[in-house]
Amino acid sequence: MYISEKSKVVVQGITGGQGSFHAKLMKEYGTNIVAGVTPKKGGQEVHGISVFNTVQEAKDATSCDTSIVFVPARFVYGAVRESIKANIHLTCIITENVPVFDMLRLVELAKEHDVHLVGPNCPGMMVPDKIKLGIMPGNMCHYGGVSVIAKSGTLSYEITKAIGNAGIGVRAYVGIGGDPIRGTTMVDAAKYYNEDPQTKIIVLIGEIGGSEEEETAAFLKAYGKKPVVAYIAGKSAPEGKRMGHAGAIISGDVGTAIGKINALREAGALIGDTPWDIPKLIQKIQQDQ
Amino acid sequence: MRLLEYESKQVFRKYGLPLVASILIEKPENIDTMLAQFSFPAIVKSQIAIGGRGKAGLIKIAHSREEAKSLCTEFFQREIAGFRVKAILIESLVNIKHEYYVSVALDTSSRQFFVIASAEGGVEIETVAKNTPEKILKIPFDLNHGLTDDKVDQVVKFLNLPESEYETAKKFFHTLWDIAHMSEATLVEVNPLVLAEEGLFAVDGKMILDEDADFRQPDTKILQQKKLSELEKIAKEAGFSFVELDGEVGILANGAGLTLALLDVLTDLNLKPANFLDVGGGASKERVFKALELLFKMNPKGVLINIYGGITRCDVVAEAVIEALKIFAEHPPMVIRLTGTKEKEGVELLHNAGMDAYADVLEAVNKLKEILEVKK
Repeated sequence: MYISEKSKVVVQGITGGQGSFHAKLMKEYGTNIVAGVTPKKGGQEVHGISVFNTVQEAKDATSCDTSIVFVPARFVYGAVRESIKANIHLTCIITENVPVFDMLRLVELAKEHDVHLVGPNCPGMMVPDKIKLGIMPGNMCHYGGVSVIAKSGTLSYEITKAIGNAGIGVRAYVGIGGDPIRGTTMVDAAKYYNEDPQTKIIVLIGEIGGSEEEETAAFLKAYGKKPVVAYIAGKSAPEGKRMGHAGAIISGDVGTAIGKINALREAGALIGDTPWDIPKLIQKIQQDQ
Repeated sequence: MRLLEYESKQVFRKYGLPLVASILIEKPENIDTMLAQFSFPAIVKSQIAIGGRGKAGLIKIAHSREEAKSLCTEFFQREIAGFRVKAILIESLVNIKHEYYVSVALDTSSRQFFVIASAEGGVEIETVAKNTPEKILKIPFDLNHGLTDDKVDQVVKFLNLPESEYETAKKFFHTLWDIAHMSEATLVEVNPLVLAEEGLFAVDGKMILDEDADFRQPDTKILQQKKLSELEKIAKEAGFSFVELDGEVGILANGAGLTLALLDVLTDLNLKPANFLDVGGGASKERVFKALELLFKMNPKGVLINIYGGITRCDVVAEAVIEALKIFAEHPPMVIRLTGTKEKEGVELLHNAGMDAYADVLEAVNKLKEILEVKK
């Protein structure tokens, strides 16, 4: 969603270790990276990509329309504020440990400017064989009709690779991240791919914590147009312990794996017992289609 | 990060929320000296990181110092679901006229804050919410505008407080929002807020602080350090996320979701995980080494490494593994699964050092099961 092979990408934090490393991988994948931004480092080049001091300067020179952010957590607020104010239509925040209050302010600001945010603490998004805007491995799968929406990065690589290995094509991969406040929610992404003509099947990869899977299930139950396959991680997780992601914590009966599984099942989704069941479930649906 | 009652009240005190007189006992050996400073009857409240302490009998009234002593001694030995009593808070009793529920909470779905209030406060608030939701007022507001006067007025009127308490109550709600806003909390809850003959008091409190704001919130940083176990402290300093569990298989994986899924798979196979360890995105050699060091310290029966490299590089992980095995000659049996970014380089490094690596996680898990069964 919101990205295609036509997207012109600016990499914020391109002179840092991660920014530079992944700018190179994305470029090799075929992503059209037109600029990089690092304050006070304008005029340099990284992997042949021109570096600018600000997003606005980068936009004036290259008409970039999509940003990916690698700056450290405490600078994310400033960096993303800049890209929103430059009306970059989508900003994807890879950085983890971004404070909740910073994200709340950014989400409000993005809404005012009518632009999209994805992340933070997310692997990014891709349209296989066309564009990779993120840190996910490029060789997981080829283009096709399945759209994958996931909270977790590596778990979604695992599942997407299994999907690819089974010879199933992927229309889009979106890693929304596992933080409590994120630019794009699971419901936002599900709504988009529910209407997307190229998407034949939706795969949801969720985990314990929060109530987004339940809300997505409620949406799909009322408006779902496509078959859904899902996997929820954390069946064995104990209550009250935060499991890595800031959002992944069970408190009382809120956020349990079983609650999410039941809600999705009730909305008609097929549920994988393990991540590796997902390709089989997709094939089952494809045979029936 | 969820704060205990007494930790929340320490924050409340800083901002001037009205509290009853109290003492805190943090260690069993201090029971006598602390109790000598307090008068009874009083209420003895266990401080424990899980709900349901009242129902578990961990909050009781002590009519005398002797009774308080025996309660404290008993409470320090108690636990609920593996959570130990961390401290004991002793508070004066007040003459209660009415109990209210009030909180300021971030709703992550709508990304707004809510001020929530009910005239039916106390331990049964969840039943009230379920059966008679009309008795609970919820007013949304956003971070930019904050909790404004008109919304506070609405809440105070809804609670039907006596007019003499209006001004105190209004100040109370403004302070609740100040606390949330200034300390970057996603929940500040007072339940019950007690109207007593002696005045208005926050009798129980709960807070959730955003751990990611610790770089600009010194109190958050201090509290965080205090809450971690020794092993968890090592993990925090090295920059990975770690939770101790009660099984016997040590886990090192990358990505919270993948680690969680791995715990589920192992649990299904009756291989009980000893920990959750997400080494994090883009882990350095040093970080992976520290994670292995910590796992070896726990002395598990076996160790499973599961890396799917995106931002994490397989070659960096392989280097750390080789280094760790060189330094820790005596280590539990270990199975490694390595795939993703720089996979070829990583696997080659391991091979050259005489180690196998699996590309498929299920193969790796089965291999570990095989090894552990032979060992038995």
